[in-house]
Amino acid sequence: MFGLSFLSPLFLAGIAAASIPIAIHLFYRRTEPVIEFAAMRYLRQAPVEHSRRRRLRELLLLALRVAALCLLAFAFARPYLAQSAAALSAPVTMVLVDTSVSMTAPGQFERAKTAAADAIRNAPAMHAVGLVTFGNAADVITPPSQDRAGALAAVDRLKPGAGATQYRAALARAAEAIGDRSGRFVVVTDLQLSGWDAVDEGSVPDRVSVDVADVGAPASNTAVTALRLEGTDAVALVRNYWDRPRRGQVAFSLDGKRFTSVPVDVPPGSSIEVRVSAEGRSRGVLAATVTDTEGYAADNTRYLVLDASHSPAVLAITATGQPVDVFYIERAVLVAEEAGGFRFRAIGGPAFSGLAPEALADVGAVLVLGTRGIDARGRDLLGGYVKSGGGLLVASGPDVDPKVLAEALAGIVPTLLEERATATPLRFAPADSRHPVFRLFGGVGTLANVTFDRAAAVRVSGTAEVIARYNDGTPALVEDRTTSGRILIFASDLNNRWNDFPVQPAFVPFVHETLRYLAAARAPRADYVVGDLPGAAGATPGSQQLAGAPVRRVAVNVDPRESDPARITADAFRAGITRLNAVAAQQARAQAREREDSQRLWQYGLLLMIVSLAAEGMVGRRLG
Amino acid sequence: MASQTRPGELRFLDPAVIARLGTLELKARTIVEGFLTGLHRSPFKGFSVEFAEYRQYMPGDDLSSIDWKVYARSDRYYVKKFEEETNLQCYLLLDVSASMGYGRAGGTTKLEYGQMLAASLAYLMQRQRDAVSLTTFDDGIVSMLPPSARPGHLRALLVTLDRLRLGKKTDVSKPLHVLADGISRRGMVVLISDLLDDPERVVDGLRHFRFRGTDVVVFHLMDPDEVTFPFERASKFRDMEVGDELMAVPSVVRSAYLSELERVLEFYKRELGSMGVDYRFVNTSEPLEFALMSYFSNRSRFM
Repeated sequence: MFGLSFLSPLFLAGIAAASIPIAIHLFYRRTEPVIEFAAMRYLRQAPVEHSRRRRLRELLLLALRVAALCLLAFAFARPYLAQSAAALSAPVTMVLVDTSVSMTAPGQFERAKTAAADAIRNAPAMHAVGLVTFGNAADVITPPSQDRAGALAAVDRLKPGAGATQYRAALARAAEAIGDRSGRFVVVTDLQLSGWDAVDEGSVPDRVSVDVADVGAPASNTAVTALRLEGTDAVALVRNYWDRPRRGQVAFSLDGKRFTSVPVDVPPGSSIEVRVSAEGRSRGVLAATVTDTEGYAADNTRYLVLDASHSPAVLAITATGQPVDVFYIERAVLVAEEAGGFRFRAIGGPAFSGLAPEALADVGAVLVLGTRGIDARGRDLLGGYVKSGGGLLVASGPDVDPKVLAEALAGIVPTLLEERATATPLRFAPADSRHPVFRLFGGVGTLANVTFDRAAAVRVSGTAEVIARYNDGTPALVEDRTTSGRILIFASDLNNRWNDFPVQPAFVPFVHETLRYLAAARAPRADYVVGDLPGAAGATPGSQQLAGAPVRRVAVNVDPRESDPARITADAFRAGITRLNAVAAQQARAQAREREDSQRLWQYGLLLMIVSLAAEGMVGRRLG
Repeated sequence: MASQTRPGELRFLDPAVIARLGTLELKARTIVEGFLTGLHRSPFKGFSVEFAEYRQYMPGDDLSSIDWKVYARSDRYYVKKFEEETNLQCYLLLDVSASMGYGRAGGTTKLEYGQMLAASLAYLMQRQRDAVSLTTFDDGIVSMLPPSARPGHLRALLVTLDRLRLGKKTDVSKPLHVLADGISRRGMVVLISDLLDDPERVVDGLRHFRFRGTDVVVFHLMDPDEVTFPFERASKFRDMEVGDELMAVPSVVRSAYLSELERVLEFYKRELGSMGVDYRFVNTSEPLEFALMSYFSNRSRFM
């Protein structure tokens, strides 16, 4: 059942070296001296070697030498036992049925089922028959067997799914299902173009032929490809994949209850945004549905979860933990309590030091307004939080000790705070007005009204970027980045002690934008496509609840790429399989290497070679 | 040529040196005279009543043989020598099979050694008036000189010995049986051979002589190479008699060879000794006098 293969078969050419001892044996014969001797009677009683036996021994010696050389070449060729291609039982016809979203056009899946049933019925009599369905994942519905009735019944029960087409996964799964057998794959599909990208794994063995049963694609398709909330507006992106204009309605609903409907007129091959007001709708599952009777049904609706649990959590560390230490920031945060707001919490340094690292797991941003009471554990906690990608804002007011901060961020953030004596009042302005923190202000704007009585000095490291400066040119707001987290250092107070910023109109939007920017890196994901989430929850479009603390609702939508009905030809499909074989060859080599590595037959080869050489030495010594 | 015993001097002659001497007669004389002169005790004491000659006393001569009358006249010691008279018939059997042709390079072959030994013995016997016969054999009798004590017989015998050529395969027992049947008088048989034959058959042949009351002396000649098997390189050993070859690595087969040789020698010693045969193992690198000494010990017993 197993065949011997070689990882480096070129080394087998070394077997040619075996011709050397053979040539020596044939063409160079050592002539032993002949001694005329009388007392042969006594010599015959000794274990002497008669010429015939000696010839046999010489042949044995030759065989051992040849064997040693062959074994050396054999060991270098890295042999391994591969499952033989000849070890096959009955060939297999595997029917691969596409159950992706692109099969949900009217009448399309019925045609697919008919084609699959035909492929099963028309399979050669000797073939076993198996059934695989594929969308974003491939499943073996009936493993290869002679039970064609069972396979036909399975085809009859098939329903289209909501996954995206992935041909490679399907072919790999089918190849895995047939094992070492030969046969034929019949792929029942709409030949959607987008099915060829994504997963780059799996292969089709050379001994398997691939046929395509094309079930066709709808002439047109309209889909909602995106849905988002902008302020209080719900914005849906509707795309027309037809070469003619498409007119229809886009209905918006919250938790299944329609609250508005908008007519749309989408130009051919284009997208338009449909914007409706969602004011007052801060919680629930928002859905936008476009009317489309000709295209794919599954991509007509898109979902968005509006739950506040998606608001980033903000933790402020203050000197005492009292509300007074963080009064202005807390007021500013509470303004944004609707969708897109923050979950705010303030604690003192000792309380922060007592937190478990897990407590910071869902914190989007940490504000350091005071370092009093942060012990060594607290510094480690803060450092670990930054290292893990958390957002950090340091407002270097009177309660922040630069040394504590430097110690907490040592080796993580090279930018340092220093004491500074400000003689004259300062003002500040963005150095980079395109930075997300200042984008809202469109330049200096009202920021110019802020007066700073006192400021800290920031020693900017090479990796940091100054995004705002005081009017004396010194840094006012500095951003330093770790591999995944964002750190902003504000060179003054944010609680109306060193400046009047908190009582200026620019303060609230500044706080909001800064916190959003910091928390963006750790914002919990609320939008998934089918197949991203494990289990049945991830296979159906709509809203799903994710376990955890707290329980979150997320939206699961159809992969927007699946809405594009662009197709490839059957020949292009087969060409893709040819490319797949090149990948397969690489994978086969990798597998061969792994197998060879686990079997290590070369070691046995070398051992046998040593044994051969030892035997050769013994026999040779006896020959003299 | 005779070796007179002097301190620090070799007492015996190297067989290889003897072999280079001219005629076989000269060789025999050299050996025998030197041997006799070197003996401490004359073997001829009381052998004969017939006066032969006076000879100056040599150390080792029996004091009783000194002629005190001559001493009184000449103030010199002379020994009175007698010719012995016996009616002994001695049969020399010399193996001339092909295997007797083996000899270490630069040394004597077994046949040459056997020739010298036989000639020396014949010379001695002739001096003692014994009738000597010479029979040569390989797998059968090659030549045969009937026993005679006539003065010219020795020359004929020596000529015969000188003309010997190597024969074929050894078969000791066959000529032994033929001879044993042909000997009518009680006498002495001296077998000179390398005994490369089936030991059982050799012993059986000699038993035939003992059965007829004949004294037997066996000189078992072996070359030093055959005794020590000193070869080093892997070689093909070709049988000198039948020509077949054996491939052998000496270091591997040496111990087995030597133990087999020892076993055979022990067999001869035991079997021949038990039936009263005087068995003498002779290494051909040893002086001939050793072999002659064996003869004399036997001869003395016989007298």
